[in-house]
This record gives sequence, C-alpha cells and structure tokens, in this order.
Amino acid sequence: MTASMSGGVPDSADTFPRLLLGHARARGARPAIREKDLGIWQSWTWAEAAREVRGMACGLAELGFKRGDRLAIIGDNRPRLYWAMCAAQMLGGIPVPMYQDAVAQEMIFVLQDAGIHIAIVEDQEQVDKLLEVKDQCPGLQHIIYDEPRGLRHYTQPFLHGLDEVLAAGKIHDQNHEDFLDEQIAQGRPEDVAIMLYTSGTTGKPKGVCQTHAALIAAAQGGCGFDKLDADEEILSYLPMAWVGDNLFSYAQALYAGFTVNCPESGDTVMTDLREIGPTYYFAPPRVFENLLTQVMIRMEDAGTIKRGLFHYFMAVAKRCGADILDGKPVNGKDRVLYALGNLLVYAPLRNVLGMSRIRVAYTAGAAIGPDLFRFYRSIGINLKQLYGQTETCAYVCLQPDHQIKFDSVGLPAPGVEIKIADNGEILVKGPMLLKEYYQRPDATAESINAEGYFMTGDAGFLDADGHLKIIDRAKDVGKLNGGAMFAPNYIENKLKFFSYIKEAVAFGNGRDEVCAFLNIDMGAVGNWAERRGIAYAGYTDLAGKPEVYQLIEECVSQVNAELAKDAMVADTQIHRFLILHKELDPDDDELTRTRKVRRGFIGEKYAVLIDALYGGKASQFIETEVKFEDGRKGKVAADLEIRNVRTFPTVQGRAA
Amino acid sequence: MARQIGEVILDLKGISLSFGGVKALTDISFDVREHEVRAIIGPNGAGKSSMLNVINGVYHPQQGEIIFRGHHLRDMNTHAAAAAGIARTFQNIALFKGMSVLDNLMTGRNLKMKTNFLQQALWWGPARREELANRLKVEEVIDFLEIEHIRKTPVGRLPYGLQKRVELGRALAAEPAILLLDEPMAGMNVEEKQDMCRFILDVNDQFGTTIVLIEHDMGVVMDISDRVVVLDYGKKIGDGTPDEVRQNPEVIEAYLGTQH
Amino acid sequence: MQFFFEVTIGGLLSGVMYSLVALGFVLIYKASGVFNFAQGAMVYFAALTFAGIVDAGMPLYVAFVLSLVVMTILGILTERIVLRPLVNQPQITLFMATIGLTFFIEGLAQIFWGATTRRIDLGIQDEPIPWLLDQYNIVVSTFDLTAAALAGVLVAALAAFFQYTRIGRALRAVADDHQAAMSIGIPLQHIWAIIWGVAGFVALVAGMLWGARNGAQFALTFVALKALPVLILGGFTSVPGAIVGGLIIGASEKLAEVYIGPMVGGGIENWFPYVLALLFLLVRPEGLFGERHIDRV
Repeated sequence: MTASMSGGVPDSADTFPRLLLGHARARGARPAIREKDLGIWQSWTWAEAAREVRGMACGLAELGFKRGDRLAIIGDNRPRLYWAMCAAQMLGGIPVPMYQDAVAQEMIFVLQDAGIHIAIVEDQEQVDKLLEVKDQCPGLQHIIYDEPRGLRHYTQPFLHGLDEVLAAGKIHDQNHEDFLDEQIAQGRPEDVAIMLYTSGTTGKPKGVCQTHAALIAAAQGGCGFDKLDADEEILSYLPMAWVGDNLFSYAQALYAGFTVNCPESGDTVMTDLREIGPTYYFAPPRVFENLLTQVMIRMEDAGTIKRGLFHYFMAVAKRCGADILDGKPVNGKDRVLYALGNLLVYAPLRNVLGMSRIRVAYTAGAAIGPDLFRFYRSIGINLKQLYGQTETCAYVCLQPDHQIKFDSVGLPAPGVEIKIADNGEILVKGPMLLKEYYQRPDATAESINAEGYFMTGDAGFLDADGHLKIIDRAKDVGKLNGGAMFAPNYIENKLKFFSYIKEAVAFGNGRDEVCAFLNIDMGAVGNWAERRGIAYAGYTDLAGKPEVYQLIEECVSQVNAELAKDAMVADTQIHRFLILHKELDPDDDELTRTRKVRRGFIGEKYAVLIDALYGGKASQFIETEVKFEDGRKGKVAADLEIRNVRTFPTVQGRAA
Repeated sequence: MARQIGEVILDLKGISLSFGGVKALTDISFDVREHEVRAIIGPNGAGKSSMLNVINGVYHPQQGEIIFRGHHLRDMNTHAAAAAGIARTFQNIALFKGMSVLDNLMTGRNLKMKTNFLQQALWWGPARREELANRLKVEEVIDFLEIEHIRKTPVGRLPYGLQKRVELGRALAAEPAILLLDEPMAGMNVEEKQDMCRFILDVNDQFGTTIVLIEHDMGVVMDISDRVVVLDYGKKIGDGTPDEVRQNPEVIEAYLGTQH
Repeated sequence: MQFFFEVTIGGLLSGVMYSLVALGFVLIYKASGVFNFAQGAMVYFAALTFAGIVDAGMPLYVAFVLSLVVMTILGILTERIVLRPLVNQPQITLFMATIGLTFFIEGLAQIFWGATTRRIDLGIQDEPIPWLLDQYNIVVSTFDLTAAALAGVLVAALAAFFQYTRIGRALRAVADDHQAAMSIGIPLQHIWAIIWGVAGFVALVAGMLWGARNGAQFALTFVALKALPVLILGGFTSVPGAIVGGLIIGASEKLAEVYIGPMVGGGIENWFPYVLALLFLLVRPEGLFGERHIDRV
C-alpha cells in the first residue's frame, strides 16, 4: 500500500470520508463529479464536493441521524445522492442505496428490515412511493428530496428539500467545524460502510454489510490491477443499489480520485457517453448487445460502399483484431489492413459508441456471447470480464490485459484466494468479504465456512493457466453415471449463443450421456428459411423441417467440439437432441417470468420425450395443451424427430 | 396552496364567422379567466378549430368583438397575437421537420429576441448574450418536458407522440400568457395521453399559464378543465363547469347522446 | 503525376467559384422555392457596379460597401416588386418571372455602366506561388488560391450564420415549412427580403472574383449558368452540396479538357459539366446531398 497508489492521498485515509477530505486537499481544484443539467455539464471539484458532503452530514445530524443509523438513498445516479452516501459515512452511519425502479410495495421490506428513519430520494416519483407505504413503515421519520419539482403542494411536515437541509447544515458546519471533524475521526476502517441488499432470488433479500476496509481493499486491488489513476473518467449510469456501481463509481473513484460523470437522464446515456468519452467503463452484456444491434441496423441502412467497407474490415478485425489487442504476433499484411480499417471503420465506430478513449471496459453479471465479446475486442476496445458478488464487493476475478480467454473470467484478483470444493463450488477468501448479513447471523454462518471461505454458490474450475471458468450454479450441477460433472446451464448457454437457438434444456444428471431439448429462434431461423425459399406454416412446422434440423445439428456439433477441448466437461457432449414442437413459455409454466428454464417441471411434463431420447428412438409423437394469449386453450401435436449428433474425442494436453 | 383563478383575460362577444355563405360560427360569446383551463368541446364540424383560429388571428370574424386584457379589438392578427403572448399548437403538427428539437424550440423564442440582423451577422456581444440567455430558457422547457434525449434529433424522425410534445415545447418556449392547444392528445396512446395531461396541468400549475384547449376525448376534458364551452353547428349550446355541462340536457342531446 | 496535381488543383480552385454562384441559387431556392434564373445576371450586375465605382476613382473598400448597398437594394426590390405579388402562384410562373428579371437586370446594368468590358483589379497577383513552384514544381496561382480562400471563408460564415443565429434559424424555419413559420410569428416577407439581400451579397463576391479573373463582361452570365450542373450534382436544397458540386465540376472539367480533350479535338471544357450532370441525373436525381422526395399516392 503505497501513497502513490491512491494518487497522493496518504495511507491514513482508511475510510471514505477521510479519502474524500484527502482528495480535497491533494487535488482540490480537479473535477470530482459532473452532471449534465440544462444541457450543460456542471462540475464540482473535490474541494467543492467535500464542502457539500460536510454540509449534508451536518444537515443530517440536525435531523437526528446518528452513528450506526441507516440512511435510505433512492434515485438515479446524481451527485447529491453519491454525496449523501459519504455524508452518512461521515457520521458513522450506513447508507442503504435502494433500486429506484422498484414499486412502492417492494420497498417496504428493505425499509423495515434496515430500520430506516431517514430517506434521501431523488424526486416526486420516489416521494410518492414512500408516502404510499409510510403507514407500513412506522420507523420512517424524515424524507428528504433532491429535486423539488412538482412537490410545491406537498405539506407533510416530515418532507424536507435537500436544499434546505444542506443550507442549514453548511451554517452548522461553519459554526461548529470540530463537530464533524470529531465524527470523522471516530470512524474506523472496520465499520460497516454500506449495506447492499441482494436481489433475493431465493427467500427474502438480505442486507450485505461491507466495511470501509473491504471496499477500499477491493478498490485498491482493482485500481492497481488496471493501473487506474486520477485521470480516469467514468460514466455512472447503473443503479446505485448495485454493488458494481458502488465499487466503480464510489469506492474506486474515491480511492484513485478520478472523475465520476452522471448522465442527464436515463434516456440520454448514449449521447452523454459520446460527450464524456469515458476511459473506464462498465456495462452488462445486454448493453453491449444492444449497442451492437444498433450498429448493425444502421449499417444495413447505409449505402452500398459504406456497407461493403464495413463488412470487409470487420472480417479483417475478426481475423486479427483481438490478437493485435493482445499483443500477439500477426502477419504484416493483416497488420497493414487493420491499420487501414482502424482509420476507416474501427475508429469512427468507437467514436459513435462513445468508446474512443476507453482504456479498460468491463462486463459481468451474465455470460457474454463469445462473438459479442470478440466483436468489441476486435475493434480495439479493451473489453474484459470480471467475476464477483455483492458479498465480495464485486471483486473475485479479473481478466488481465493481454491474457483474455473468451470463456473464462480471468485470474484471481490481487489478495483473493480461490478454492474449488469437491462438488465444484467456488470458495473465496480475502479482505473484500462481507462482514455479515444484516441481523441474519444464521445466513452469515451458512455462507462462510469454518476456514473463512465464502461459498459463492457458483460452480466452476481453474484451468491449466489458473483462469477461473464459471460453469453453473452449484445447486444445478449434477453428475453423469460415469462420474463426470454435468453443468446444464453451461451447456445450454453455449447452445444459446447461436442466434438460431432460443432456448435449450440439457438433461444428464444420473444418466449415461447428455441429451437436449431445443427451441429454435423464430426470427432468426424464419429469416434463414425465407432466404432459402423454404415455406413454412408456423413454429411447429418450421421446427420439424429436415433442413432446420440439419442447421441445428451443425450448431450442436460445434458446441460438442468446444466441449471436447476441456477435459472437465468433455464427457458432457450432447449425444442426441430434438427440437420441441412448441416454444417454451412462461404462460405454460415452462419458464420463469425472467425466462429461466424450469428444468424439473419440463422434465415431468415431457417425460415421454426424455424416454424417447434415452431409449434410442428415431422419433416420438407428442400432444401438448397450450394457453393462448387471450386465455383460450388449444392443443399442439407433432411427431418429433430425434437426431444423433457427432461427438469428439477429448483434446488432451492443451495446457502445454 | 391552490391555484388562484383570476380576472377575465380574454372576452369574446358575439363572434360570427362565415366563409362565403357557410356559417362557421354564429354569435358566440364566452370568456377566459386568467390561470384557468378552459376547454372547447363539440362534435366534428362544430367550429372548435375556427374558434381557436379567431383567437390567434388566423381568421377574422365578420361580427363581434374581442376584448383582450382590456383592449377592445375587432379582430386579431397572427403576429400581434403571438407578440401579445398567445401561443398555440396545431391539430396537424406544424413543426419544422428538418430542424432539430432544440432549433424548433429556439424558433419559439423568435419574438423574444431583439438584436438586429447586423448584430447577429457579426455575432456581436449583445447578440451572443441574447442567444445564450434564450438557450437557457429553452433548456428549462426541455427539462420540464423531459425531452433531453432528443435535443439534437431532427423532429421529422420522432414518433408522433413526441412530436406533439415538442410542439407544446415550442409554444411554451414563448412563455405565453395564453396557450391554445388544438387537440393536444389526438392520435396518442394511453400512456402518451397521461403524460400530456400531466404536462398540461403542470404548465398551468407551475407557470400560471392560461390554457384554452380543444379536445375530443371527453374523459380527458372533464378531468382537467375548470370550465367547458360546448359548441354545436357553430352555436354555443352550453357553458360551465364540467359537472354543469354534463347535466345540461342540450349538451347530452347534441354531443354526449350521440356517443352512447 | 505532377501535371495531374497541377490540373486538379487549378480545377478545384476554379470550382470554388462555381460553388459561390451555386450558393446564391440554393439560398433562394431553399427559402422561397423559387429557382432564381436571374442569379447569373445579378453576378454580372454586381461585377459591373463594383468595377464602375472603382473606375470612378473610389478606393476598393468603398466600392465594396457601395456595391453591397446597391446589391442589397436590388435584392430587396426584386422580392418586393417581382415576387411578392406572385405569392402562391405555381412554380413555373415564378421561374418565368425570374427569366424576365434576368433580361431586365442585364439591361439595367448596361444602361448604368455601358456594355464594355471593365477590368477589375483587386490588387492580388495572378502568379504562381513561388514556394510551391520551387519545392514541388507545381504551378498554383496566388490569385486562385486567395479567391478560393475568400469563398471558403464566406461559405463558413454563412453556414455559421444559419446555424447559430435567430435569423438564421428563422430562415431555416421558413425554408422548412412556410405555414408553420407564419403561425409562430416569423414574418415571411422580412425573411425573404433578407434572403434576397444575402443572395445579392453572394453575387457581389462572386462577381468581384470572377470579374477580376476574366473581366466584368457579359460572358459572366454564361459562367453563372455553370451553376446548373453544379446544382444537379449537389442537390438544389443543400449548401454543402453546392460546395462539393462546385469542386467536382471544377476539377472534372479541367481534367477532361486535358486528358479527354485531345482525343475529340479539344474545347470540351464548356460542355463536359453538362454531360456529367446529365449522367448523374440518371443515377441519383436528387443530387448528392439533396432530399429524396417520395411522393405519397
């Protein structure tokens, strides 16, 4: 831990308030945060930000906010909401950022569980939600709003404008400067800095308590790993309640002292991105996917010459772009072509995407398709993957520059220890682990084992180079009769990366080999069929076409080829598959509302098909009841073909 | 703190308008009070749009008198009406399709800008300051209507509902005393209608703008208006609060009756 | 190769001046939908007026200001007397009116200043730039380069004016939709007067530069007709189109003269641009930058 790592802020800055004041001294005149308002980027320097935060802290203290109290923060990414976090921390309190798009009823649990007395919210919309549930949250005593618009007629005495709270606080701070200094001095690195609620896919959400020390350790590790310094620019547009935003826009920004930019509104993110040109960027895979789709649509509308150039140079980039970025050897001709392509296509494209200045971009949260990932890397954007959870400050693995493997999440981050349990579950240990789940000692004890490892619930393995590969949720992982580990999601994701395959359900737990149900993607396959002049009369018809089976079989055998490359999963190649006669549908309870496959239900519903797959039949008749959108019911029947797929021998000795 | 409805700001007396031999409006009188939301309703062809066109001087009535802020006038003309603080939107959006949203809104401030051709040609100090001050006003409107994301988009590329909103923005940019809205919600889906209602009420509430609107959607009119005038075949058949109008037998006969 | 560059550069520089004339057409066409056939005559009139005032012993800048006043008045009067009474008439009527206007302005110029060719001396040497000649052995005229630079500055200034000022915005608004512009209180007549005044100004600059090169003579009206292929290439409604179109026409006619000319006996410079425009019409009738009109049935 050297002083230069955090850009001139001394090591004694071991809590976020101390980091803020350190930056206010070390680089007081540099921009700390910007926000676009009325069409203009307004910025606040570190010194100004520190003054505002101090004022806010004193204002909160006057409302009765005390050490250990929790402060709810609800709203879009706005400077004053970030400051509110630090203000609460100055007083030894714990900010609890909440998802701003949750409906009122969903907020009740967190407000009650965290015992919120004071909430700082963005605007009228959030105030209305809190007013709606206030009766059910008797503890809620004060609501402070940032944006007064539309709130003129609200007369409730417990509503306060942030402007007024801030003004009163600033006067207080001027008159009693030592009050706040004392509060800040009392803060210790092992105090809880923030509480983030896990989404709670199983059971009630849990408040994850992270200490200053844990977050700062994660921030320091990440900044050192990617050499982030005070010159970085980041656009903060992901929910403040999400651990990633807290790490990137708050912890790392305060550690390294770089500039955080808040977009004008949720709809302007693309424009704001272009204007700011961040050097450090994070987005979930779907954002990258949407961007790519937009580019492709625009290219389809472009003139012939432009389109031709684009496709030609994208082919060049696909061939050598990623290697050039990784610093691997590339032949001279490709190098020249790539340079030309950079001038004509890649650089303008990066500019359109707002990614001209990006040094490091990360994605995480879901598996990113290899083609998508390769696309961004091939046009010269240093997109990488990371792995982490709320409980680990979003900090477990990072992909190092020049060592990118498309299907791994990289090496263990500095200071992180990883162990794979016998059942394949990934266990991690390090300074970034949670202190506890708020008022849930039972859950805390369950998630951390006797040796101090946090159990992530994910299954994976370390490859020969020490890179971590995530394959599935640990509870979904099963075993083939031969003893090999069977990770259905891993296989299904690989299948779904093909645009022709919309859904996949893999079976294999307790069986000799892996078989799969597939759904074709009506749009992509329909398009494919039309181009080949294949006529069809709807999903069931199209799905049963021999040509379509041929197309899908090729996709499946490619997946097998890839699986064969990894000794860990090579035995789980898909031997047989069929294309279902109907699309899996949440209305028929086959998918969850978030479109996750309900494996067990499907297994029972289509037991006859599974028997056919494992019984070696060439086809099977099935009739299924379906619900239409208008509530009527009908039947879909078909004779489904079952295909064998080519499998490959395991590739040995890849590590050499 | 409730909105204070003030004195009569616009008083129309005995307005008659005909095109050739066709009578569009016959002896119509009604008034508009400051800060109120005043609706004009009626079946198709009742003369609602003609009425708006008389108010902002597109049509010149053959008979009648317009009293605007105490000034007795035979008729209005468009330029004078705009200069006096009457802004409007149109049933068929009349935006500059090739220009950006920002530029469209800036044209709404045309009459507020005073520097002359030469000063502007030379980008002379006052011209530049004027441009910036007016841009700030326009940005406030953009913020108010939540259209930041389309600031630089050419209007022609926007969906219909947003174009309607931009047109409202252009009228608002003129900081009008009276805002005339010609079917502001025509052709919109339910959400767009809700948004538009909210904006109209917010304008009325926050800026105290007097609003005269024509609308087909009866539900909307009754929800947001303070008083309603009902026209039928160019004649006034009802005038009063939404409740009064709803119970007026003549209105039920002519308008509501045909709906049910 | 050197020779090729020389010809190309020479062509591009003269192309800038075509652009200048074409710009006058575009401005008026955009704002009022009138194809102003008299633009060439206005260039001629401006050149003669400027030369006449200089010949009367006035310094250059006085002559410039005076000519500007004259051209602005001419532009405004044209709008007031010829076009305003014809508002809402079919386009062809307006076009015919501008043809009549052409003869009138040409006559007027000759009544005032006589039909003789006058020389215009702007004090810029028509000599090769020594540095380019020494270094690369390429002949580029100082005059051409200055003229091109002037034209470039003018175009940039006009573009900025249209983009960033209230009147510029009002002009674009009028060009976009007359009815809508009127409804929000933009006075159409006022805007048209300004447009004609600006067109007069552009004509003056073009007239001065062309006049200084070739003399202020009647043939200027024909040179101005070269704007037609420029417009076809660039699109009638596009300012950048006028500029790019001018450059392409300028360069291609010179290159054609040098490389294709000898094969067909020379002198193709005068008609080549029209052939090019004709071919272009077949491929892209709306011009490089023009708006594609799709008539809905």
